[in-house]
Amino acid sequence: MLVERTVAGDHKAYELLVLKYQRRIERLIGRMVRDVDLVEDIAQETFIRAYRALSQFRGEAQFYTWLYRIAVNTAKKALVDLKRDPLVSETTLRGSGDDEDETSAVENELTSAETPETVLAAKEIAATVNSAMEALPDELRQAVTLREIDGLSYEEIAEVMNCPIGTVRSRIFRAREAISAKVKPMLENQSGKRW
Amino acid sequence: MEQMQTQELISALADGQLRGDAFARGVELAASDPAARDAWQTYHLIGDVLRSGELAVGSSAPTVFLQRLQRRLQEEQPGMPRAPAVEAAAAPVHEEAANDGSFRWKVVAGFASVAAVAAVVWSLVGGAPDKPVSPELAKAPAGTVLSPGERGVMIRSPQLDELLAAHRQLGGASALQMSSGLVRNATFEGSGR
Repeated sequence: MLVERTVAGDHKAYELLVLKYQRRIERLIGRMVRDVDLVEDIAQETFIRAYRALSQFRGEAQFYTWLYRIAVNTAKKALVDLKRDPLVSETTLRGSGDDEDETSAVENELTSAETPETVLAAKEIAATVNSAMEALPDELRQAVTLREIDGLSYEEIAEVMNCPIGTVRSRIFRAREAISAKVKPMLENQSGKRW
Repeated sequence: MEQMQTQELISALADGQLRGDAFARGVELAASDPAARDAWQTYHLIGDVLRSGELAVGSSAPTVFLQRLQRRLQEEQPGMPRAPAVEAAAAPVHEEAANDGSFRWKVVAGFASVAAVAAVVWSLVGGAPDKPVSPELAKAPAGTVLSPGERGVMIRSPQLDELLAAHRQLGGASALQMSSGLVRNATFEGSGR
């Protein structure tokens, strides 16, 4: 729906898509490029290219799958351009061969955006989210797990939990609010709110 | 749906579960209301972290990233309304050229160009008189009489005759004491010979 609205000319809808996928796209690019500024530049270029090409998005694939391919191509092009620049050091670049699967990078390897501080902050946020999940009442935890981990729709969750759709929506919302209450203070303490 | 509070609306929007007016209202809220936008970001962060802990931290702050992207998108579509700050930053700056102050030089250069073009056109079109191309030889001054003699044509100029009359004692062979044919050709006695 957001994609359709964007194609129809709704810029606000596209802004929401950007906010939704920015972190994942930057993470993906960060596996290919070391320079933190370059990661953001390529992410910007990715969303610009996606915006230009939105009218060509047929909806046959998921939007993120389509965006993912644009990001990989944009990063590869940027790397090719950088390799032609004699002033760019090797440490700026990361392996970018065509036959390399960007998603197969070692999980624990630091990406460009990661410093020891950001790694620590990410671990703390993840730990907080997980502990907040464990503290949720069963029906809230189950509802948000079915939605976020298993990707079920509200109708499917209602069927699984044997409750009305409105109840599913309310449970997921309450679960998110409970987790958010624990996480937000940490996010606000992050320098520059890089999250 | 109407009873949903703002955050719950955003939660359902994040799950793609809104349709029609509720969807439009959710988009409007998430785009314009800071609290709703904050909820939109946080809910997606929670989902990302639940799926993968490494997504807890991004490379750049979402608001900064989005503002930068908005500026670029506005450049893509100049017709889009701009925020005042962005508009001021993007206002064209009139930079004076180094020679803007010397206007008169531009005028001079313009006239020179026009004159050069006119001269070329004049010569090409044929405005110049038809004259022999051969070089023009020296002309005798006005009043000069060419008097034929046995030793060839002699130049008789009134001014020259007056000059020779005033200095006749210096002219001729008596004065030079030697043969000087060329000079004698222009002496006072020349006309009587």
